[in-house]
Amino acid sequence: MEEQLKIDFEKKLKDFSYSDQEKKFKETNFKEFLKNGFPNRKLENWKFSDLNQIIKNNIGELTFYNDYKKENQIDKIELISELEHNKIIIVDGKIEKIDFKFEDKDKIDVLVEQSEETIKENINSLINLNNAFSNKFCKIIIKKNYSLKKPLIIYHSTNKNTQSKNTNSRIDFKLEENACLRLIDIFKDNSEKNFLNIYYNFELDKSSILKNYKIDKAINNNVKYSYNNVKQEANSISETFILSSGSKFFKNEINCDLQGQHSSAFVNGIFDLDDENHHEIKSNINHLVENTKSYQLVKSVLEKKSKAVYQGKIFVSSEAQKTDGYQLSNAILLSENSEFNAKPELEIYADDVKCSHGSSSGSLDENSIFYLMSRGLNYKEAKKLLINGFLLDVIEKITDEEIKNLIKDLLGVKQ
Amino acid sequence: MLKINNLSAKIENKSILQDFKLEINPGEVHAIMGPNGSGKSTLSNILSGKKGYDVTGEVLFENNDLFSLETEERAHKGIFLAFQYPLEIPGVNTNVFLKTSLNAIKKARGEKELDAIQFLKLVKEKAKELKFDEEKLGRQLNVGFSGGEKKKNEILQMSILNPKLSILDETDSGLDIDALKTVADGVNALRKKNNSFLIITHYQRLLEYIKPDFVHVLMNGKIIKSGGPELALELEKKGYENIN
Ligand SMILES: Nc1ncnc2c1ncn2[C@@H]1O[C@H](COP(=O)(O)OP(=O)(O)OP(=O)(O)O)[C@@H](O)[C@H]1O
Ligand SMILES: [Mg+2]
Repeated sequence: MEEQLKIDFEKKLKDFSYSDQEKKFKETNFKEFLKNGFPNRKLENWKFSDLNQIIKNNIGELTFYNDYKKENQIDKIELISELEHNKIIIVDGKIEKIDFKFEDKDKIDVLVEQSEETIKENINSLINLNNAFSNKFCKIIIKKNYSLKKPLIIYHSTNKNTQSKNTNSRIDFKLEENACLRLIDIFKDNSEKNFLNIYYNFELDKSSILKNYKIDKAINNNVKYSYNNVKQEANSISETFILSSGSKFFKNEINCDLQGQHSSAFVNGIFDLDDENHHEIKSNINHLVENTKSYQLVKSVLEKKSKAVYQGKIFVSSEAQKTDGYQLSNAILLSENSEFNAKPELEIYADDVKCSHGSSSGSLDENSIFYLMSRGLNYKEAKKLLINGFLLDVIEKITDEEIKNLIKDLLGVKQ
Repeated sequence: MLKINNLSAKIENKSILQDFKLEINPGEVHAIMGPNGSGKSTLSNILSGKKGYDVTGEVLFENNDLFSLETEERAHKGIFLAFQYPLEIPGVNTNVFLKTSLNAIKKARGEKELDAIQFLKLVKEKAKELKFDEEKLGRQLNVGFSGGEKKKNEILQMSILNPKLSILDETDSGLDIDALKTVADGVNALRKKNNSFLIITHYQRLLEYIKPDFVHVLMNGKIIKSGGPELALELEKKGYENIN
């Protein structure tokens, strides 16, 4: 793999005339990745999976170079028709289109110049990989007091003939004071056996609101990793909802730094897994100042040999008095071979805090099934009704009604 | 309508019903009384198709072999069980559940399913008859319902589904005096249309409102005595130990 990486990176650097700064940034990250490689079980965050193994089993040998000089076809990508939206279309990691057609043009800026701060970051090896191979820098700024009228949907797509490739995409966002963004991620996989690596960086200024809904529903054979890095100032709110279902492997990592008072983070999710799919959510909620709040609820419905992992971490620094942190996960195992792993991690250095966590898993309640069947529903209908009921409270956590309905439709939950 | 011949049932090698016999004709009301643990709920569960019992013997429902029918098929054919302990189903709206149930049965029978408006009209009417608080229909099924409300909800389901054979497993336990009367009214309304009932109860009070045609005493998985309504009175006076 190392040979391939070096060849592909050389090729990549020749594609564009990068500025010295860009070049240095990419090279530093590339070296870091070469040093550490893909994450494995030795890392606490990857206790339940070895990415090398997962890539080997599902993809084989990866290549890392994508030709970003050529323009990808995007007119064949099927767009969401149920709701009006702004869009960004990413194909094989390259942003092909940015379209804020519903918004006031002077309220949104798109920057291509990277700041010193983000250059210095060193988060993990996959972010290094991303920084080394992703395309030109892109940062979206939502101006003070502006709420986007329509949601922004980011379509993550692959070309039909893209195979055994690693694609990397990164977008930075800044929500200025009191700004509001509803962001939906949707996957349109047009090819199989690729490793998609997605990295978002969010700066939430005072009183801004970010709602990010990540929807992985369509069945596909790709391996995916997504990292959200969220830095929150006073009174800001981040709401993340993850519907983790269709991909072969998907790991969503959410890092929230609650660094302004009265900021809050919500991370909710559903694992709806079948076959041998293996999905994970890893959250790091860092309560760094007084009076911050976090809430996490994750529900799993696991068929066959599927496996879900939820590693939820709540960190409370010694200054972060009056922290309110809550975390709960429930799983229904529909087969003896399915597996749910929950690992709540609490690291608390302040004394006046309210933190709780819980986790449960079990099979579908046979008595409830019997009750419903005695009313004329067949086994499948009874099961579906119970599962929908089980998922309802986490779906109800979605604060955006339009998007809630979209997700209900996708899950076949209609009440 | 229902013919039970030499029904025996075991659970994990523990014998619960032994050579149980019972015949119920259209329009008849049979009451079964018996001490705790005598097998009353087991009988109801077996008739409704609950899994987990080893059974021998024969049960015919309108000349169909009951054991060859799945739980939901029995419901489609008109068997209804009002549970002794109705289950709480989180996240499932009561109205949605009722409509799903009614339409599943109608569909299986080849009848026209009700649309939302027709259904709401029906459910409103039935809820009113049974003095069932309509607001509860918008809530999750049995979640946060009081004991009595859960029982009333069973009867509401019964009157909406209009079954041929209704098995009421201690529906009267936990009902207040007024509720007992409305439940009895519900049963009597259905009874008029030649539907049959198997009523399991510990108290003769219910039988004052729903006059049974037959009363059976079940002990240790067997009917040890059958008679008319007067048997219930005798039981109340003497207790199970002294009946024979
Ligand atoms: N799943 C089970 N496993 C083991 N034993 C069981 C099971 N279900 C019932 N039994 C036993 O079978 C016997 C009959 O139980 P059943 O519930 O039918 O009694 P019942 O007549 O309905 O009593 P009650 O008046 O208290 O409702 C009891 O001894 C009970 O403990
Ligand atoms: Mg009982």
